[in-house]
Amino acid sequence: MDGYAGRMLRVNLSDGDITTEPTPEEVIHDFLGARGLGAYLLWTEVPQGADPLGPDNKLFISTGPLSGTLFPGAGKMDFTTKSPLTGGYAGASVGGMLTAEIKYAGYDSIILEGTSPKPVYLYIDDNAAELRDAEAYWGMGSFALEKRLKDELGEEFQIATVGPAGENLVKYACISHDFGRQAGRGGVGTVMGAKKLKAIAVRGSGGIPIADTAEFARIAKEAYRACKEAELLDVWTRYGTMMVTSWCDENGALPTRNFQSGSFEQGSSIYAPTFREKIVVTDKGCFGCPCPCGKYSYSKKHDVYVEGPEYETNGMMGSDLGVGDIEDIAKANQLCDELGLDTISAGGAIAWAMECYEKGILDRDQTDGLDLRFGNAEATFALIERIARREGWLGNLLAEGVKHAAAEVGQGSEKWAIHVKGMEQSAYDTHDATSMLLAYMTADVGAHHNRAWAITYDISVGRDLVTPEKAAKVIELQHIRPLMDALGCCRLQWVELGMSLDYYAPAMTALTGVEYSWENLLHISERVWNLTRMIWVREVEGFGREWDAPPSRFVEEPAIGGTTDGKFTPPEAAQRMLDYYYEQRGWDDDGIPRPETLERLGLAELVEV
Amino acid sequence: MAVTLIPTGMLREYTGGQDRLELAAGPTVAEMLEEVDIPPAVVAGVVRDGELVPKDYRPRDGETIRVLVIMGGG
Amino acid sequence: MRLYADNAKCSGCRACLVACSLHLFGENNPKKAALAIVPHFPAPGTFEVNVCTQCGECATVCPVDAIHQNEKRAYYVDPGECTLCMACVDECPEGVIFTRPDLDYVWECDACGDCVDVCGPSALWITEREEV
Repeated sequence: MDGYAGRMLRVNLSDGDITTEPTPEEVIHDFLGARGLGAYLLWTEVPQGADPLGPDNKLFISTGPLSGTLFPGAGKMDFTTKSPLTGGYAGASVGGMLTAEIKYAGYDSIILEGTSPKPVYLYIDDNAAELRDAEAYWGMGSFALEKRLKDELGEEFQIATVGPAGENLVKYACISHDFGRQAGRGGVGTVMGAKKLKAIAVRGSGGIPIADTAEFARIAKEAYRACKEAELLDVWTRYGTMMVTSWCDENGALPTRNFQSGSFEQGSSIYAPTFREKIVVTDKGCFGCPCPCGKYSYSKKHDVYVEGPEYETNGMMGSDLGVGDIEDIAKANQLCDELGLDTISAGGAIAWAMECYEKGILDRDQTDGLDLRFGNAEATFALIERIARREGWLGNLLAEGVKHAAAEVGQGSEKWAIHVKGMEQSAYDTHDATSMLLAYMTADVGAHHNRAWAITYDISVGRDLVTPEKAAKVIELQHIRPLMDALGCCRLQWVELGMSLDYYAPAMTALTGVEYSWENLLHISERVWNLTRMIWVREVEGFGREWDAPPSRFVEEPAIGGTTDGKFTPPEAAQRMLDYYYEQRGWDDDGIPRPETLERLGLAELVEV
Repeated sequence: MAVTLIPTGMLREYTGGQDRLELAAGPTVAEMLEEVDIPPAVVAGVVRDGELVPKDYRPRDGETIRVLVIMGGG
Repeated sequence: MRLYADNAKCSGCRACLVACSLHLFGENNPKKAALAIVPHFPAPGTFEVNVCTQCGECATVCPVDAIHQNEKRAYYVDPGECTLCMACVDECPEGVIFTRPDLDYVWECDACGDCVDVCGPSALWITEREEV
């Protein structure tokens, strides 16, 4: 199969058995790869009701057809599993160098099943694959372990690790790679830690077969040229996603003090120019990317290196916690990275706790002496450590995620647990942005922005408008953006540089020898979207509209201060957005895909409804 | 001499397709945007010499200011 | 002609390596490329790019005189004459002249410029070699 490695590696951690099998061509035809392949494998291989932390759950690590090829942004891959955080579908993406290396070693997917009796790491060197003892590495942080494994095995090896957070089964533990990249959301690191798989080390020396090499190279070079000529390339490269901080602050989208507001009075001290000037060392990119968003940084104040912060961490560890010092945010980022925690979920959990503390619902006994007021960066550092190690009552509670923590503590604190489906919301305040609110309500992993980033659309057509067109926009984005996750490439060349979407289908055709059109690709993406929806339907008893409910803060409480001062979205408006959405998706009033929709997408047989 | 304002991407829709505007020095960038009818909400940032400057920056004679359209986020 | 690199601009993306292997072999395999990216992480957090400087040490040390210069004055290995003795690989000050198990002889940079075309940060460029 041109464009693919052609085989999958199946690793049974319970008995140590490792086998290879051919990548099923029909599955690739219908689901493409990476996120699509992961969704298919999750549906077919993980039994309904599996314990996410038990041996029946699997972690699917998949590359895509564009991964590792000469194409702008060809450096992404997918981790899919049943989420220990939400109980539903989890699909997290990571960049860096890993996807290319796995493909060169000759695998489209690595399937991790069972549970190892002892800590191990997976060693892959082309055709050699074995589980090796990782007892000596247990407890190590991500940078420390990656450096150690590269020293021991060779610089050429690409490394992915879980940190203490994954070992301790913190529900939003991440998988770290390439000194600063993470597969962050949904607890993919938790599953890897539960399986006692401390790390994966891969080296691959093979090439990727291409159907029409000359044509593929021609298209790729044209795409690179377009990126090099993009108007925004220099500014984007200089600042990365941090660039958007000032715009968010000005437009009431920068989450402040647990999403109480969308503007932060200290905002300007965490804007991109300050960041660049104070701490940035190197523009660091993923495989094949002409517009490196990674900003590898050094904080003199804390004497730490970190890749970041990027916008999300700037929001969730900065303004959302009332912290306005870029070096403190960098330190919090570094702690999360080293310990292996998703910065977004950790930020959301800590912000909730801070609000509880300020409202007198948590006292200093419960915080183990921490003065957990908004803005207290030192308290943040201490709490991050405690969460990762499940130390103390609060650390252990927050390790479960904000939905669970609020259910435990009660006293109205559910009102400020900012999550959807149990996943903490990422860094766009949605008091007054109905498309973005809908995007968070309907993202298939929980409250994450990467499926649909619609907030500029809100601002250009009218923030509080409730229209079928807005729902259509969210759906359109939910097909295009995750398509990149199935192709194994990044979306930011299109999103940020404006690289034309017209390159993708011709590139796929030249790569695979299969005739692709943009419409085909979107159709496959819609298929995957409905499959991940069906995973929720299958796994969550009584799954329906309530699970798409917005965080109550945005539909009940006015924003405090800033551009959106006094604004919120009436709950009926949010529900009407959902009505438009379900209708256009061909789902019923409860948000369940209708039989004719599943039929149209060729899923009816697979999901047997 | 004047200040050259360069709107990028779809911001040119607000300036009747013009990708280069000459304005008198004196106002802040925010005021210049108002003058040419570019709504601040669709401006991601403002660049002078490859670096972001705040919207209250007052461009000097002979400077070129690029006005960046907000793209698609993260 | 020779390739130049500005380390400070390199983002470590490796697109150059893939472009090189496609040019030399028609293969998408960055492990078969005539330049190298050396990352220095976690500290100091920078990338180093090793490129062929066309120094000619390989030609000097070759015991069978298999390495010549083409019309761009870039060095190249004559496949008919190379015995894979590896003297040039040992001698290369940049560590970029290379062979791999599936190759019959040694390969080096021919200053084609494909890597330059795909370098987003413009960390690479090709120009006339400065005379020493």
